[in-house]
Amino acid sequence: MRKYAVIYSSVLMENLQYAANVALGFFGYFVFIFIFIKLWGYMYRTPGELIAGYTKEQMIWYVMMTEMLFFGSGAASVAGEVAGDIRGGNIVYLLNKPYHYTLYVLTKYTGEWSVRLPMYAALAVVIGVVMVGPLPRFPLAAVPAMALCVVLGLTINAVFKLCISLFSFWIEDTTPFQWLYNKLIVVLGILFPVEIFPQKLQPLLKMTPIYTVCYGPAKLIVDFSPEKCVEILAAQGVYLAVGCGLMFLIYGKGVKKLYVNGG
Amino acid sequence: MQAIKVENLSKTFRVKRKEKGMKGSVKAILHPQTEEIRAVKDVSFAVEEGEMLAFIGPNGAGKSTTIKMLTGILYPDGGHAEVLGVDPVKKRRQLAYRIGTVFGQKEQLWTHLTPYDNFRFFGAIYDLSEKETEARIDELLERFALEDFINTPVRNLSLGQRIRCEIVASLLHRPKVLFLDEPTIGLDPVVKENVRELIRQMNEEEQTTIFLTSHDVGDIEKLCRRMIVVNAGQIVLDDSVEHLKRHDPQHSLEEIIVDIYKSEED
Repeated sequence: MRKYAVIYSSVLMENLQYAANVALGFFGYFVFIFIFIKLWGYMYRTPGELIAGYTKEQMIWYVMMTEMLFFGSGAASVAGEVAGDIRGGNIVYLLNKPYHYTLYVLTKYTGEWSVRLPMYAALAVVIGVVMVGPLPRFPLAAVPAMALCVVLGLTINAVFKLCISLFSFWIEDTTPFQWLYNKLIVVLGILFPVEIFPQKLQPLLKMTPIYTVCYGPAKLIVDFSPEKCVEILAAQGVYLAVGCGLMFLIYGKGVKKLYVNGG
Repeated sequence: MQAIKVENLSKTFRVKRKEKGMKGSVKAILHPQTEEIRAVKDVSFAVEEGEMLAFIGPNGAGKSTTIKMLTGILYPDGGHAEVLGVDPVKKRRQLAYRIGTVFGQKEQLWTHLTPYDNFRFFGAIYDLSEKETEARIDELLERFALEDFINTPVRNLSLGQRIRCEIVASLLHRPKVLFLDEPTIGLDPVVKENVRELIRQMNEEEQTTIFLTSHDVGDIEKLCRRMIVVNAGQIVLDDSVEHLKRHDPQHSLEEIIVDIYKSEED
């Protein structure tokens, strides 16, 4: 485990040098949130109105939280970089080290979002409190459970994106699949909570990774309940186990297909 | 004792083929065509412990593919390889603790970190204790004269400084076999000489087996006693450098090697 801890701290060291660059992305986040504050302002006509069980404040905080996860996590190291390493041959240097390549990539990714996410979280809280108002009855004692849910959600997302990238062992370009996965997450999880979709569709959505990647963590933050927390954490546990199994399987098969030509 | 043993090693790649122009591109979508290229064909050889072997050949001869199979990165289609008594494919991670690799055209150092932070990182990756890592860094720091830039981010180093750091990173865990794939590529003559001297010293002092591929005849002449020439995936010559030079004293080693390449083309 020590070697993974060192990989994590090295990435942290590397990324802390560029923390100021992360702040450049704040503008994009602010524009998104500003649009959604206005949009939901028009949708909710009367104070206290509920849409799909959410008050206006909860709905805006939900989008702020899911967008915070999206902006704050980035995914280059589990998506484009992995595919690029496999296609470009740089993987040669990563494979001949005494660690598991997929765990190396996941650790690296965790080190990256460890710098970005707290910065975006701070920004989200400031924007939320100033422009929307604090969440009523927010349970401070449940923050550790929420944080655990966020970490698991990001890890599951990374595992699935890594699975897609690992198909680069067979195909030349995995970008279209990453694009499709991202769009599904954005449309079905980031912009709207699951409850806003038709009743018949909801059980289906709850069976997709979207439920554990963005809906779950954001739902717990805006509307925490111990029962919901247990349900989401259990679902995350299942998804993480299935995702990791799939990841090891694809990697194990794919690495035998590696084709690296030239010096 | 043999450090590397290779028997009938083979590797075939399947590469895409496309006819020229737009028509060819459309045709390639509807009827994709591939061609099999035998990068390595039934190669057999052995390298003794502590030996410095030059494994040379023209571009596309199969040198790097062989190194990648010996380090467990590529899976052979046929034959068998053993490095330090271990099958690289079956026990890649176990073998990784005992070998080092330097690919002159690729980077293993983290460019935003300093060489010192990189070395500490590699020390941990190879399960060295902090004390062992620090002692080894001190030892190699002096030998490779890294004092002046040990705390400069790798991205700001010159190519010669970076290659020296790459070699140090590969030596931290005291590998028994070091695979050097064109380690002096792009270096100026002075730095080349410096790097060769360091490799030679390390071989003498630590009995490290060196498996070197290079297009630079100077690397071969100054470092290796024996050379294997490969062409089109096959071994075409396995002889001592001294014997080759003695056999044809009118020509330089470079001329002899070019003649071997040309005779194989014919």
